[in-house]
Amino acid sequence: MNHDLPEDIRALQSEMRTLATGPLAGSAIERDRDAVFWAEGWRAAAEAGVLRLPVATGVGGRGLGLLATIVAMETLGRHCDDLGLLFAINAHLWAGVIPIERFGTEAQRATWLPGLLDGSLIAGHGATEPEAGSDIFGLRTTARRDGDGWILDGVKSFVANGPVADVFVVYATTDPSKGELGVAAFIVPKDAPGLVVTDPLDKAGLRSAPSGGLRLERCRVDAEALLGREGDGAACFQCSMEWERGAILAMHVGRMERQLQEAIAFVRRRTQFGRPIGSFQSVANRIVDMKLRLDTSRPLVRRIGELKDAGRQAMLEAAVAKLHVSEAAVQSSLDAVQVMGSRGYLREGVVERDLRDALGARIYSGTNEMQRVMIARLLGLPSSLPTRRAAAGDSASGGPGAEA
Amino acid sequence: MTAEEIRDAVRVFILEDALVGEDPANLTDDLPLRTSGIIDSMGVIRLTSFLEDRFGIRVDAHETGVENTDTVNAIVAFVASKLG
Repeated sequence: MNHDLPEDIRALQSEMRTLATGPLAGSAIERDRDAVFWAEGWRAAAEAGVLRLPVATGVGGRGLGLLATIVAMETLGRHCDDLGLLFAINAHLWAGVIPIERFGTEAQRATWLPGLLDGSLIAGHGATEPEAGSDIFGLRTTARRDGDGWILDGVKSFVANGPVADVFVVYATTDPSKGELGVAAFIVPKDAPGLVVTDPLDKAGLRSAPSGGLRLERCRVDAEALLGREGDGAACFQCSMEWERGAILAMHVGRMERQLQEAIAFVRRRTQFGRPIGSFQSVANRIVDMKLRLDTSRPLVRRIGELKDAGRQAMLEAAVAKLHVSEAAVQSSLDAVQVMGSRGYLREGVVERDLRDALGARIYSGTNEMQRVMIARLLGLPSSLPTRRAAAGDSASGGPGAEA
Repeated sequence: MTAEEIRDAVRVFILEDALVGEDPANLTDDLPLRTSGIIDSMGVIRLTSFLEDRFGIRVDAHETGVENTDTVNAIVAFVASKLG
């Protein structure tokens, strides 16, 4: 597929390969073991302009668009060992940078984007709550006006980049009676009074991408902290997820390509019963399936980039890609472990870590179960979930309603 | 394209997508769609996807608020403004 890419994107591929095999080279095994964020790698990626890739040139970005960014993430996922670092970069971009670029005022963009784009500031994502994960708009964090500012109260969990973030995009409800239309997004600096960043979570995979929690205890922010308008929170969150589901999964596409190449090399080299194990059909079939998954995954993520760059909506395509690529990444990792046998099972290898990292992809950016629900809804199937309209026992005429 | 042509197309979409089985007469031009829950967060994605396909316009995420999508009148005005 690479030969179909425009010349500037192919040049970007080369640039990312140079970055990944130069400043970002080396094993992530120790950072994975110790759950350590790679600050030096972050700075190297920032200096190489990775954090500016999809952002408009008018606000300091490189203006390369989403397809280019997706291809860049594929390339980094292929050549950079530290998927945790790439996850942190993606969380920063899609949960912080893009919402501020798309929904922020000129003043907010001027305040936050320079630091977020040069990497001196890291963004964290304050959306998920202990009781509001898949039911994201059932969040309980509240925001109420206080003079010329806002008071936020609530608890956030699984905050991507939480322990290392300088600023958070936090979602809260300004009016619970309005459901999703009562959700608002706020830009909350880490030193905001009443904000407590809680301890890092001990995750199975993506261990070098720190996640934690937030407690907002009468956390006061200025009026300028409101991102967009009251009620824009749902659109802001969905915008964030639409972009994220394309680009963050791209790193797994790159990793699947690496697994395939390494698995092929291994089964050609490893002999048993006097023959390369790749000559055994049960082994070869796994390799073929890995190839099929790679080739069906790559177009799905790139399609999101093409649509967004054309100014089109891609929510359905993003959900389809997220569902397919994350499942493919898990199965590709399982196959890589299996064909490499005991070597694949060792922590000193890479594919064991790939498997743990890939499992996260089924969960973050909305569980795969929720992706199926979304895809069904976006195809026009009726919802099984309670709606505000159904809860009110209402319809346009008092008669049958389609949404209930 | 006239405002009435936009209105007719939007009404047909809403009746087929969000108000299946509803008497078309009940879909008035100022009937609240978002704030009543007739169109929820998934429904507004389908709506904007329809508007992009049908009218060849681009709808940014920050333009999908209730001011542009809560009523047939608002949707028609929004599309007309996009078409210039």
